[in-house]
Amino acid sequence: MEGREKVVIEKSKRPFYSTQWFFLLVAEASLAIITGSINPRFFTLNNMVNILDQISVLGILASGMTLIILTGEIDISIGTNLGLVACVSAMLIKSEVPTFWIVMVALGLAVLNSMLVGISTIAFKAPSFIVSLGFLSVFRGTAFAITKGVFQTIYGKFETLGLTRLWGWFPLSFLIGLVIYIIVDFLLRFTRLGRHIYAVGSNSLAAFYSGISIAKTKLLVFFINGLLIGLASMILLSKIGAAQPTTGSGMELKAIGAVVIGGTALTGGRGNILGTFLGVLLMGIISNSLNMLRINPYFQEVVFGIFIIIALGVSVFSAYFKKG
Amino acid sequence: MSDYLVKVSGIVKKYGGHEVLKKVSFDLKPGEVHCIVGENGAGKSTLIKIISGAVHPDSGEIFIMGRKVRNLNPRLAIELGISTVYQDTEVVDTLSVAENIFLGSEVPSPIPIVVNRRYQNEQAKAILKSLGISIDPDIPVGELPLVYKQVVQIAKALFRQSKIIIFDEPTASLGLEETKALMEIIRSLKKRGMGIIYISHYLKEIFEIGDRVTVLKDGEYMGTYKVSEVDTEFLVRKMVGREVHLFYKRERVPIGEKLFEVKGLSKKELVENVSFEVRKGEIFGIGGLAGSGRTELVSLIFGILKPDAGEIYIEGRRYVPKTPIHAIRNGICMVPEDRKRMAMFLGRDIVENSVVIINELLKVAFLRKKEEMNMTRRLINELDIVTSGFSQLIEHLSGGNQQKVVMGRWLLDENAKVFIFDEPTKGVDVGARERIYQVMIELAKQGKAIIMVSSDMPELLSMSDRIGVMRKGKMVEILDNKDLSEEKLLRSFIGV
Repeated sequence: MEGREKVVIEKSKRPFYSTQWFFLLVAEASLAIITGSINPRFFTLNNMVNILDQISVLGILASGMTLIILTGEIDISIGTNLGLVACVSAMLIKSEVPTFWIVMVALGLAVLNSMLVGISTIAFKAPSFIVSLGFLSVFRGTAFAITKGVFQTIYGKFETLGLTRLWGWFPLSFLIGLVIYIIVDFLLRFTRLGRHIYAVGSNSLAAFYSGISIAKTKLLVFFINGLLIGLASMILLSKIGAAQPTTGSGMELKAIGAVVIGGTALTGGRGNILGTFLGVLLMGIISNSLNMLRINPYFQEVVFGIFIIIALGVSVFSAYFKKG
Repeated sequence: MSDYLVKVSGIVKKYGGHEVLKKVSFDLKPGEVHCIVGENGAGKSTLIKIISGAVHPDSGEIFIMGRKVRNLNPRLAIELGISTVYQDTEVVDTLSVAENIFLGSEVPSPIPIVVNRRYQNEQAKAILKSLGISIDPDIPVGELPLVYKQVVQIAKALFRQSKIIIFDEPTASLGLEETKALMEIIRSLKKRGMGIIYISHYLKEIFEIGDRVTVLKDGEYMGTYKVSEVDTEFLVRKMVGREVHLFYKRERVPIGEKLFEVKGLSKKELVENVSFEVRKGEIFGIGGLAGSGRTELVSLIFGILKPDAGEIYIEGRRYVPKTPIHAIRNGICMVPEDRKRMAMFLGRDIVENSVVIINELLKVAFLRKKEEMNMTRRLINELDIVTSGFSQLIEHLSGGNQQKVVMGRWLLDENAKVFIFDEPTKGVDVGARERIYQVMIELAKQGKAIIMVSSDMPELLSMSDRIGVMRKGKMVEILDNKDLSEEKLLRSFIGV
């Protein structure tokens, strides 16, 4: 194409103030300032580290959930999956099984559970919401059956993962969480699998017409999600030193909430891990602030709910204003 | 008092910058069947949508029963006595015949909030009987043959005391016997003094039941005639005969040896025993009326549908279509018909939308971002894509530029051999259209085989070297595009 004027194309960026992460940062900063001005203990290093420590498990779960939601699916069984894996691990720890095998079993079981949800969703061409609702019950029931409802305590064992503080202050669990964010971010932005995840979630018919396997992409995502649930389960078990069948219940909703607050569209195809990170952080700050301000813990649930609704409102409105 | 049930004049409707109706007039008298004819895209559907209130005209006047109506909407149209019978929409399959007829105006029984089924069934039976039809009004509509879905809609119109019934391609999927039955019903409606607006591709039906006929061509009003005073010849000539500027003057490309061949390709109820070949540098057009099996044919080749029988050869090598990725690996490209539904990744930027195919072919595990930008830049320059930058989302481009991106993604693969374009310029502005034509010629020059499905007659005639005509799933004729007239092509489409 000679003779035609070459157009210079730059990578254009949206103004930073119209992005979801900016809203989240503002919300987080203002919450921190308000809490800090009432209770100066908020800004101590110890408290900051505590917040990071508390959100590590949720962060790992939310990273997996981000991938699932980006493909246009959802998995509400991750909480009870985590609970079942924690119970099994605790029982193995109590019977002095070598740590290597405990880790293998935990990861394997979590992956198996997650894959069951994924395979059923694809095989039955059913909405994953309903499929995972079914498995939610299956996992919790299994956990009750094998533990006979008994609290499994492992005090003093298996503490490395959850309680180690690097250099005496930095929680290892948060470092693991951070590594997971980075890996998932790399996966989404720099690999073909990441492209497949976005493509399938954005327009599965167009993905099929472009030669992308929808089933393979979704199964891989459920596989990765399983690995992350297994990891999160071990960290949680290590932190609290006990497991029961209800461990992890409700975590799925917090994870979905964090993903949605982070700007990932529930319809799939849009969103990123930075948003999820900030969404998780916001949850951590809210719960910490409410503790610092000595507000009734039951009220926390209400505040979480309100933030999810506000986040939805913000993304709907920003989409509306972009259209003009 | 006016003699006309409906009278519209000076109707103009624009979509974007494109005028789909240009000062169209139409009227309907009681007791007549007034037909509207025209090719695909002539504006027939838009016109009846305006009369039934589904679409607002940009200018023009609408009179219904002599009363000027300003803000016509579907609800008001029904209240004024206008009903539309579609092919199979508008009925709920799981409800009974009577329930469908009374849908939205259920008759209450003495018990509060309970529907008076018996009364409804009796009424429905009476209405159906007056049409000369005896079916049990208690049967779910889904269990009845297709023609009865239309009968149910007609009965509903009678129940609403409609004066005007619009039929939009009612016989497109009906058999011979069913068509006959429908014609009989329409005659009886006419006798009751109702006005019928009748749209059909089949000119034969128009001569059978029509009183007057209005011809539209590319949104232009060509005239209204008494059916008894015209013949097929005359109507076909009125429907075609476009001005020269609508045709694109393409450059001729030398045609080489056979590259692609289809033998006896069949798929039950969709495509029947289709055979054709495409040579290097040739543009093979596929034409026919909507629903004639054109898109299904190319879907079979691209591995979206699985054929029941038939063989395909690429450069003499047997190719069995399995999946789109298999087709892509065998050098087949397809730009699908509906880009929003089948090709665009909404919410993703133009780079991701451009490199999707080449990434699949190269099976890269890790993306090469720099390379991706270079390829996208090349497409932007070569196809004159107007964009604000690499991170612009595809849905924020204009229709023509969107089409260039979803087309461009195939051009990055230099080993592709066969290009299928399904409606390549649908919803595309004139400038982009010309650019897309140039790309097709460029591909022909490189010795690729090109298959172009199109509803646009000037496009078929300007671009194709040969044209395969599809009718009811069969490729009935392959015409050499030499001295081929619009008239001859249209005759072949409708089979007269």
